[in-house]
Amino acid sequence: MQMEDRSLFRRLDVNLVFVIFALNIIGLINLYSATHGVNLTSTTSYFWQQLVWLVGGWAVFLFLTVVDYEAFKRLAYVLYAGNVGALVAVLFIGKKSLGAQRWLDLGFFRYQPSETMKLVLVIILAKVLSQSADKDGLGFKQLLFPAVLTLIPVGLTIKQPDLGTGLLLMAIFISMILFVKVRRSVLIFFFVAGLVCVPLAWSFGLKPYQKQRVLTFLNPGRDARGAGYNSIQSKIAVGSGKIVGKGFRKGTQSQLEFLPERHTDFIFSVLSEEHGFLGSMTTVSLFMILLFMGVRVGSEARDRFGSIIAVGCMSLIFWHVTVNIFMVIGLLPIVGVPLPLLSYGGSIMITTMATLGLVSAVAYRKFLF
Amino acid sequence: MSSFIGGSDEARDLQDRFKLVYICLSIMVTIVVFRLWYLQIIQGQELRTYSEKNRVKESKIPAPRGLILDRNRAILVDNISGFDATITPQYAKRLEETAAAIAPIIGVDKDSILKTVRKSRRQNGPFMGARVKENLNMDEVARLERLRIDHPGLSVDQTILRYYPSDSVGAQLLGYVGEISKRQLQRINRTGNDANLVQGDIIGQSGLEEVWDSQLRGADGLYYIEVDAHGRELPSDNPAFLELTPKTEVAGSNLVLTIDQDIQMAAYRAMVEQKDKTGPRIGSVVAMKSNGEILAWVNVPSFNPNKFARGISSDLWKELVNDPFKPLRNKVVQDHYPPGSTLKPIVALAALQEGVVRENTIVSAPGSMRFGNRTYHDSLRYGHGEINIVRAIESSSNVFFYKMGIQLGIDRLAKYAMLLGLGTKTGINLNNEVSGHFPTTEWKVKAKGEPWQPGENLSNAIGQGFVLANILQLAVAYNTIGLEGKHYKPFVVKQILAPGGELIKEYNPQLVRDITDQSDGKTYIDLKHIMTVKKGLSRVANGEKGTARWWKIPGVKYAGKTGTSQVMSFSADDIYSKCDQRPIMQRHHGAFVGYAPNDMPEITVAVLTEHSCHGNTGSVPVVRDIMRAYFEKYRPELIKTKKPRKVAKKAEVEN
Repeated sequence: MQMEDRSLFRRLDVNLVFVIFALNIIGLINLYSATHGVNLTSTTSYFWQQLVWLVGGWAVFLFLTVVDYEAFKRLAYVLYAGNVGALVAVLFIGKKSLGAQRWLDLGFFRYQPSETMKLVLVIILAKVLSQSADKDGLGFKQLLFPAVLTLIPVGLTIKQPDLGTGLLLMAIFISMILFVKVRRSVLIFFFVAGLVCVPLAWSFGLKPYQKQRVLTFLNPGRDARGAGYNSIQSKIAVGSGKIVGKGFRKGTQSQLEFLPERHTDFIFSVLSEEHGFLGSMTTVSLFMILLFMGVRVGSEARDRFGSIIAVGCMSLIFWHVTVNIFMVIGLLPIVGVPLPLLSYGGSIMITTMATLGLVSAVAYRKFLF
Repeated sequence: MSSFIGGSDEARDLQDRFKLVYICLSIMVTIVVFRLWYLQIIQGQELRTYSEKNRVKESKIPAPRGLILDRNRAILVDNISGFDATITPQYAKRLEETAAAIAPIIGVDKDSILKTVRKSRRQNGPFMGARVKENLNMDEVARLERLRIDHPGLSVDQTILRYYPSDSVGAQLLGYVGEISKRQLQRINRTGNDANLVQGDIIGQSGLEEVWDSQLRGADGLYYIEVDAHGRELPSDNPAFLELTPKTEVAGSNLVLTIDQDIQMAAYRAMVEQKDKTGPRIGSVVAMKSNGEILAWVNVPSFNPNKFARGISSDLWKELVNDPFKPLRNKVVQDHYPPGSTLKPIVALAALQEGVVRENTIVSAPGSMRFGNRTYHDSLRYGHGEINIVRAIESSSNVFFYKMGIQLGIDRLAKYAMLLGLGTKTGINLNNEVSGHFPTTEWKVKAKGEPWQPGENLSNAIGQGFVLANILQLAVAYNTIGLEGKHYKPFVVKQILAPGGELIKEYNPQLVRDITDQSDGKTYIDLKHIMTVKKGLSRVANGEKGTARWWKIPGVKYAGKTGTSQVMSFSADDIYSKCDQRPIMQRHHGAFVGYAPNDMPEITVAVLTEHSCHGNTGSVPVVRDIMRAYFEKYRPELIKTKKPRKVAKKAEVEN
């Protein structure tokens, strides 16, 4: 046992842990500020609740680190089937929140299957893609199965409707197949298909409020106090932080509730407002270091599955961070994508820590042959 | 690039792919860094300013409008304050709950609250508060204030309401207020004087409220409160916020009118009260002091301007607009009518001045006369016999004045009619005044494309045909005759007072011209001819054949002239005989214009009662009542003593 413990700390990627821990601290401080405004009800509970999720997240992280990730390769289909089943269940017995059915009430915990679906998709794609290598890259035949595996949960989440998560799943799929390399013909096909699908999706696929979001993004002034409100208020919050920010708990945009969802999707604008360019750059840098480190773990993995799963996991983190920050700084329309490690929420916290735990597991086992 | 330590062979083919991943990450971080740089450093100051504004809400303190007072400083138009409950849709996150919570307090059911709020949201946008209950009592205010904490979007607003204590009396003169329309906003702000008006402001929409709006309105104040995005107010100790200096509201100036509310009430009562089988009447009244100060101004039927203070309901508006007797019209100046026999004294002045007749010329005035191939009738079937001009005025002989008309011709008549103010606006400062009309041969050719017909000289000489005048013009003309040539301009605003009571501006009586004045080379009338016509006018009320002789004021003699305005063309026999049997809309208007005392007037009154058939029964009693009210108030010594009356009678006989 003693030997195990010592080897755990020796083999653990301490730098990775340190970066995650730093982001956790920033996240907690920032969440405290965001939820200790003048009027938010049950303010303190958010902070303590998040602390509980964080402890749980670290437990999951450490557990996944020490478990041999080969297990997931074997369990991939079981996990996938279970999670897709949960997505189907959400459509029938899910709880509504803000107009969308996303939750399953498990009594002690409101389980959001679309959150874990991202990680499960990474695992199953890593398994499938690691088994089908080709020097010239993957062709259509080899991509058909992974594509079907992706499109089933994509369809189910869009049905909820949760367009953001659906697109994230697509983004993870594309990131991972591009990473393992596809044939040129496939690249051209996807490019053309994208050109055709965007107008089709616009006409038939999107709900009016979703179209509204996109239109508003293209021209926020269109409806500055209505649909463009969030986007404009968020940009004002970020910009008004200037270089050093307004100070801890002094952000007027967030404290005075001009920012919507400020403890979840708009947490980064609270940070930018209160800590300015310096604060937001520090955070962005930490995320970048985390991403580079995670990808590096992939490049040092002992096997192909390990490489792909590490990159897949980091693509999950990457897309969350990118979409969320781009949205907050006005580079993307408002879609409900939280910022890993900073946003309030149990599902996202556990999923993120589990994702990083898998990466850590790959790092943990790079020396084992 | 990382050193490759322990990767297996099967993973080796992926190594070159990592380059791609690092490039993607670098691109993303570059974009974020540049964007943050742009927002926080380049645009930082600008967005900081926005964020400051974001939490400061400008709130308006409405300035109370100036009061309108009568000549004795009795309040004609007042302000009252009230409380309204409003819900701002944008902030009402739990609208259903809020509606359910306030429904029992304000006594409006939940569904209609929801309907009101949703309708307002559609019409005025989410940031304009929807008024769900007006005129809250203090208990309701207190209970709603307690609910506000739990129900964002709910608020209790203090309002200032225009209040007209005398309801519909004089409503068309005083006017009403209402929310500024988009068109008005553009127009007023273009003129530049009132550039600070915004949508939602209340302005005068008719009458004196409209004409004197810029004096009455005042300037709204501003104060600043720190709010959250839900519009809830916060206690503020932010120094930057406190630097914003609030603006104190400035109350509007008060108007003192020439109106005497007692006489105004007497005029209104005389019009609407049921007396001697007549009334309630339809029509208009104007009474002025001989120096031009308007004492009473009444139009009936009327409307209640208090109903406009909060925005009139569309049902009531429709009812007012579709009323055949047009309660919203300020008929005193907005409507003109054929003056009928009230024109005769002016024709007489023209005839005398032009030498067509002299005071004692005897003219035959039978019951009818032929001219061309038509027969022209008198109101008396057997006529008036051989009469002079004074008698012709007294008994209102048509044939006498047909003859005057023939001999004068329309152009010579027009010269004198215009001298007395017909065909031009009186210049009283009110909107939509009509100028009336007096025809000339030149006008006829231009407007109708055909020459003046000789027969038209007859009809126009008794005030029918093309002649049109409003009753204010007639009052001014008769006042000029009564004052023996002095033409005063009518006016209704005497003083403008600052909110504190200091005099800002005073308006004095304005003598336009003395029409007996020959020195300026313009048309004039000799004083002796005016005296002759005054005799005739006095006999109308006091002579044994006077058309108004049945109505007297004990102690005061008045003078004047009755008249009838044809509403429709009937054959001559129908005009005077069967009026009372016809449907009301086909009956003639009856008018009386008079002044008192008959020798040197202090007050001149013109009354036109629509569809009353006769000038005497329709309008004379109203004029008499108004004059009596005036003398009882200002010259009670005349009324009480019987002696002057006897003296006056003696003088009459000597005529």
